[in-house]
Amino acid sequence: MKETPSSTPGLPPKAAQPETQIGSVMVIGGGIAGMQTSLDLAEAGYKVHLVEKKSAIGGHMAQLDKTFPTNDCSMCTISPRLVEVGRHLNIELTTDTEVIALDGAAGDFTATVRTKPRFIDVDTCNGCSKCAEVCPVPFDNPFDVGLGKANAAHKLYPQATPNAFAIEKRGVAPCRDACPAGQRAQGYIALIAADRIEEAYRSIKQDNPFPAICGRICNARCEDACTRNKVDEAVNIRALKRYVTDTIHARPRQAPEPAERKFEERIAIIGSGPCGLTAAQDLCLKGYEVTVFESLPVAGGMLRVGVPEYRLPVPIIEREIQDILDLGIKLKLNSAVNQLDDLFDDGYQAVLIAVGAHEGKRIPIPGNDLNGVLINTDFLRDVRLWQHRQDHLHDSNHPDPSDQIRGQRVLVIGGGDVAVDVARTSVRLGAVSVGLAMRELSHAIPASEHEIAGAIEEGIQVLCGLNFLRVIDDGSGKAAGVEVEVFEQFELDDEGHEIAVIKADSKHTLDTDIIIFSAGQNAGLGFIPDDAGVRLTPRREVDVISHNSYATSRPGVFAAGDAVTGTAFVIDAVASGHKCGNAVHRYLRGTDIDVIEARDNRVADIPQSELDQKIRTGKIKHKARINESEISINKRIDGFTEVQTGYTRDEAIAEASRCLSCGVCSECNSCVSECGVNAIDLNMRDKEQQINVGAVVLAPGFKPYQAELSQEYGLGRYPNVLTSLQYERLLSASGPTSGHVNRPSDLSRPKKIAFLQCVGSRDQNHDYCSSVCCMYAAKQAYMTLEHDADTEIRIFMMDMRAFSKNYESYYQRVKQCKGIEYTRCRISSLKENPQNKNLIIKYFERAALPAGHNGSSANPACVIEEEFDLVVLSVGMEVAPDVRELANNLGVRIDQHGFCKTEQYNPLQTSRAGIYAIGPFREPMDITDSIIEASGAAAVVGSFLAKSRDTQTRQEVFPIARDVEGEDPRIVVFVCHCGKNIAGTVDVESVKDYAKSLPGVVHTEETVYACSQDSINHITEKLKNTGANRLVIASCSPLTHAPLFESSMKTAGLNPYLFDMANIRNQCSWVHADDKDKATEKARELVRMSTARTHALDPLATAEMAMTRSALVVGGGASGMTSALTLADQGYPVVLVEKSDRLGGNLLNVHFGLDEWGVGGGLPAINEVDFIPPQAFLAKLVTAIHSHPRINLHLNTQLASTSGFMGNFTSILEPAGENLTESECIQFQHGVVILATGGKEYKGDEYGYGTSQRIVTGQEFEQQLARFDKGLASNGELPLPNSLVMILCVGPADKYCARICCTTALKNALALKKLNPAAQVTVIYKDIRTYGFKERLYTQAREGGVVFIQYNDEGPPEVKVDQGGQPLEITVWESIIGKEISLKPDMLMLSNPVIPEQAAQELSSRLKIQLDTNGFFLEAHVKLRPVDFSSEGMFMAGIAHYPKLLEESIVQAQAAAARAATLLSHDTITTGGKIAIVNQDLCVGCLTCVRSCAYGAPRINPALAGIGNIFGAANIEAALCQGCGVCAAACPAGAIEMMHSTNKQMMAEIDALFENADNTKCGHELLETEH
Amino acid sequence: MDDTTKYEPQIIAFCCMHCAYAAADLAGSSRISYPPSLKIVAIPCTGRTDMGHILKTFEDGADGVLVAGCLEGRCHYQSGNLYARQRVDHVAEILDQIGLQSERARMINISAGMGAKFAELANEFAETIAALGPTGIKKKPAAREFPLPEGKTE
Repeated sequence: MKETPSSTPGLPPKAAQPETQIGSVMVIGGGIAGMQTSLDLAEAGYKVHLVEKKSAIGGHMAQLDKTFPTNDCSMCTISPRLVEVGRHLNIELTTDTEVIALDGAAGDFTATVRTKPRFIDVDTCNGCSKCAEVCPVPFDNPFDVGLGKANAAHKLYPQATPNAFAIEKRGVAPCRDACPAGQRAQGYIALIAADRIEEAYRSIKQDNPFPAICGRICNARCEDACTRNKVDEAVNIRALKRYVTDTIHARPRQAPEPAERKFEERIAIIGSGPCGLTAAQDLCLKGYEVTVFESLPVAGGMLRVGVPEYRLPVPIIEREIQDILDLGIKLKLNSAVNQLDDLFDDGYQAVLIAVGAHEGKRIPIPGNDLNGVLINTDFLRDVRLWQHRQDHLHDSNHPDPSDQIRGQRVLVIGGGDVAVDVARTSVRLGAVSVGLAMRELSHAIPASEHEIAGAIEEGIQVLCGLNFLRVIDDGSGKAAGVEVEVFEQFELDDEGHEIAVIKADSKHTLDTDIIIFSAGQNAGLGFIPDDAGVRLTPRREVDVISHNSYATSRPGVFAAGDAVTGTAFVIDAVASGHKCGNAVHRYLRGTDIDVIEARDNRVADIPQSELDQKIRTGKIKHKARINESEISINKRIDGFTEVQTGYTRDEAIAEASRCLSCGVCSECNSCVSECGVNAIDLNMRDKEQQINVGAVVLAPGFKPYQAELSQEYGLGRYPNVLTSLQYERLLSASGPTSGHVNRPSDLSRPKKIAFLQCVGSRDQNHDYCSSVCCMYAAKQAYMTLEHDADTEIRIFMMDMRAFSKNYESYYQRVKQCKGIEYTRCRISSLKENPQNKNLIIKYFERAALPAGHNGSSANPACVIEEEFDLVVLSVGMEVAPDVRELANNLGVRIDQHGFCKTEQYNPLQTSRAGIYAIGPFREPMDITDSIIEASGAAAVVGSFLAKSRDTQTRQEVFPIARDVEGEDPRIVVFVCHCGKNIAGTVDVESVKDYAKSLPGVVHTEETVYACSQDSINHITEKLKNTGANRLVIASCSPLTHAPLFESSMKTAGLNPYLFDMANIRNQCSWVHADDKDKATEKARELVRMSTARTHALDPLATAEMAMTRSALVVGGGASGMTSALTLADQGYPVVLVEKSDRLGGNLLNVHFGLDEWGVGGGLPAINEVDFIPPQAFLAKLVTAIHSHPRINLHLNTQLASTSGFMGNFTSILEPAGENLTESECIQFQHGVVILATGGKEYKGDEYGYGTSQRIVTGQEFEQQLARFDKGLASNGELPLPNSLVMILCVGPADKYCARICCTTALKNALALKKLNPAAQVTVIYKDIRTYGFKERLYTQAREGGVVFIQYNDEGPPEVKVDQGGQPLEITVWESIIGKEISLKPDMLMLSNPVIPEQAAQELSSRLKIQLDTNGFFLEAHVKLRPVDFSSEGMFMAGIAHYPKLLEESIVQAQAAAARAATLLSHDTITTGGKIAIVNQDLCVGCLTCVRSCAYGAPRINPALAGIGNIFGAANIEAALCQGCGVCAAACPAGAIEMMHSTNKQMMAEIDALFENADNTKCGHELLETEH
Repeated sequence: MDDTTKYEPQIIAFCCMHCAYAAADLAGSSRISYPPSLKIVAIPCTGRTDMGHILKTFEDGADGVLVAGCLEGRCHYQSGNLYARQRVDHVAEILDQIGLQSERARMINISAGMGAKFAELANEFAETIAALGPTGIKKKPAAREFPLPEGKTE
């Protein structure tokens, strides 16, 4: 055989096949188009990498309620495909992923892809939904377009593929980010809002062992960072934390379980403050023995002896410390460590110094050591320990500190929080006056505002900006006052040092009895001698090597907390305790200690613009912060009672509800605790990988126009204005309102709805038509009436673009519905009625056609105002910014709107070789057209990578199934918990035990997740080692999971048909959750039914039949030729049959291309400079056909007959001529058929056609234009008209829209204008249907002066043809000016529609294929299988399917070839299995089965003998049977058995339910008597 | 049946695998309940059911039979659900003739997306059947090949 020529210029995918080819393809975008391409490619022998940026595939189609024009449930049609894609062995699905670069050359690309963290491992997750159930954070569900809520842990939609959840996380919430310890504040706040206090407590404790303490005294940097500050005030996070701990502490305490010791090493921690105890806890939990040394008689460090009781009551501290100690930590009180070496000598392998900063400082001024001068830390410690010393130690050495203060004047020097503590403590000890004097100026007081305010309330005088000069001696060595001067301001010198400016003559004395210094603290590091090997800083703090390791200069010695950093806050101590604990662990385990601990640093910052938008739309409402109540001043200063009293439950929930959930996922870890398979990792990061592919198909889809930008429509401002996609979700039974149309403002049912068409289409910014909005609005209007029949609907439109198959009749049906009105205009204005939130629309009503058509309007044009309950904006299609970025990254050219530019006559080829584009990314289009393009792309890829087919794919190989004939049923039953999904309601164990009692059951077992990979392996093993021959899984739905368990059967060497599922999740636990007993009983019953059915199951055989790997293509037009070339390029022999004597078909009549006017693909072909005219393209196509070695062309030939079935057709071709002998007919075999028999222009007598040569059809006019264009016009010919009238929609166009006539007419109007610029053209039309980029023709025509007059069916134009050679006269009603118009053109062009060829009718009866009501081929499914016939192995392309433009025909021809290739790529086809089988011994040959079958599978075979040996019994062709069982039910003789759904199997289940087991063997006696 | 327990009619729903079974699944995943005494028998297409199946189900002890298929015109196998409707209608006639009520056999059409509708129709049907009461058909004695769960008596 000759080699295929490597290139044929200007043709579909003939960019030369690359030398190096990788047999895998990347498909970008998992919408319906991407899914279809993937399936076609994978079936045709290519490995597919399907990359989707969302968390699930399905695209916009999954969001739709119904699809036009069939009103099919969108989910019904898409979900089987979702499962198919998800399970296909050769489709690698990668979600949450975007392609960021593509290197290499066509045939051998390297794609770099980046996967966003999903936070749930997609392979481990089994979709049990527990995470979503416990997730406390709702967010606006993008799937419901903001109308419904999903939880942060969510599945995009219930049927989503992959069947795995995802967590929506914008980043770390600012509150967590601001917290040194990384406390997940948003998490516990969300749990408080949900009133789930135990979980909130658990979540808090994960990061912080001292929540009750921090809930009181933390400086709450989280609140400073809180996004709520940008709206009103920060959430009171500290009070919320306190509320949680107070609530838990009020309940009986449960001591924690001691931690398990895992390591030998022992650790000593010096200091029992928050830092030391945090580290102690972490290390103990890690498995170390930890001993804490404390020099004081109490634990808690500064918390216990520094913070006064009125802020932090002792029981709180003791409780939290006890919770830590109970883990098994040894605490040694009164145990000052004097020598570090002692600890090492005692066998500690690591020592942590966490001694805090307990040594107060004296300001270096004269008199600082006089009597009556105290130090803050000593003072506070003495106060706090006095009671303890009294009660527990009976210590009388220390005097009562209040004795020294009572009745005295106290001056505290210092401005920090400790100074305020000292001052307020002094008040409580009975000081007569307390002053708080500080160096800082009043605007820069270091202490917290709240503390200062509290101090002032308690009568403390705050003195700022003082320079302390000396303490005045009263002469007896006792302090009597402080001499100070006043700072005016602080200035910076040239080197940035602060220089104080003193106010002149400001020196004065502050009289006082007691002075307490509170000017900072140092660590008490006396126990570290200079030779201990631990270096200190000059400020007497421990010097650590780095702040990541906390290691000191001596190995094994670590230091953290205030001892390192100087005085800081509790939360800092906790943070350093955690980090240091980790460092000690790393040190002891011998790993690198100096590592920076990874933390997600993406902060979820909500920009102000988004906040403003949410405030505007009411999603965020202003709400004041709730402050904690405080006890009265009198009670306060009277003693040490806690000042703040904490929240009530209602206050806490209300305050928690103020949280804006900045991060969406709050990282509360509830899902992590709940997940049964450990699939959740909240620390997941972006991941990049490289994938090697031969070609790329771009199917990124569209984004609905963001209609907020068209402010005149009020979307986002008026709650009752919705987009069409939102409305679709309202209509959807699985949408946010469960299919009830409730308007957002008040949830009432709208009685009057307006649809506004062309929002974001056909306007100043969008010079294209979005192609789908007219139809979906019609569908939505219709579906609205299905919901509520009395709804009134007005649709404001420009033109109705019902241009595709069955669309026009759909539109007509909708238009005739009572309640639906179409108004042809764009509205003038829309505003809201503030009273009822209705929308008032002002619009222009055209003049109605007067009765009798007499030239004056009875009802003149006018402007009307009308009020509607709801307005739906039919938003158009745009290309999303990230898709434009993708195109740029990939080096693919796009137009100004972002749509992908593709080649003329090769509509899927982008500007870069090896990359193809499909669907709305190329041009706005509907689902059907997208699917056609999707298959088309599989074809062009298949031609491009023909050599590497089957090189990257793999096949599953199973052992040969064991013959179980004659064996008694041996059934294994697995009962699945599905985590808690089933086990939470159904008593799984009892179901398992019950199953064990059923006959034939040899083994039963419970499993937590039957579908997990471990379980699958285990099930396979059990099947093998129990000698079982049947399997029952009681779990979830067979629709999603049967294939998985069937493969278990196959792996175990068993026939997969000997398996059944009892759906005890969807049918028991989920629907009967409120009645556990009933659910359990039903589960037992379902298992009993399933087991009974399993008894009755038979092993079914499948057979492999050889595939004849060649094709027959009928029709030699553009479509037939393209299909033939595409298949031949892929390596398959093709017989091409054309009944006429030349190739070309309708393309012979096309002389002007669309690209000239910017409405085609947009790019000249590779290697071409200019656009090629259609006839030149045809010539090249014909040459390619003639020269292709694998194409066998038969001109002047008809297809006489085709018999057989997919894979094995036999056809007979009949050359033209009379009296053919049989030998002159050509008989041959082929595996597939593509019918591309075309159509023709209608020619009828409407509008006087045939009575004057001035009246021509569209095709005749184009030919005339072409002749003049080329200078070929003959002498006698009429000249090109100076005035031309075109009438659109002639003849059969009232039944269906022929799709191409508007475009062709306008193209020719422009062509005339080009040849004869003076020509006046008037177009009389019903609707101008220039969909997609064709709209540009309409715009150019209007700009070029073409006049358009609209007419309706009620008032068509009238044409008068004068016999005497006078001009033609055409009259038509003009509804805008309300007058009848008369035109007298040189020529009238009738835009006649395309009609199907007569041949289609004949073929249909010969090939037993179906036609639609208009005579075009009927596809298997109008939406999802647009090029398949319902008979397998037969495909259609081109105008024979429906009228279409040249480029559309080319794509569809490619699609038909791709669909054919999915079959031709296999050596064999599989038949059998679940099919119907005739028992000929019972057959009477009555033809009932033949008549009932929709697929022509049963035939009466005269050679077979039926009942009583009569001739002619039915036989069902396995390859044709689809397995519905209609024939089996219809057969009056009971001669047909539907395999896998036999009478016996069906009735076994029912008999078992009703315990009539004795009937299982004769299930059909009643039937026999009935018949 | 004693008077203290509420009568729960036994209902068999023959559901086609393409639409109705999927709708029942969705009712489950949407947690919309219907009576536990309704049991689903999956079939490839409602066109698979014949009158014998339905009548036999009554004979076995069912009080009501639902045949649930795709929406009309939307049958996965083109017209199987239309055949089913004819047969169910015919069974209904027979039920009237033999002294049972025709309401006991019902054909419903729903799409895979109509989970709530499935539950609604199932509940409504169960109420209808409950109002009619048991069929009174005497069952044949059970051979007890499949034993009853503990605590359950006939």
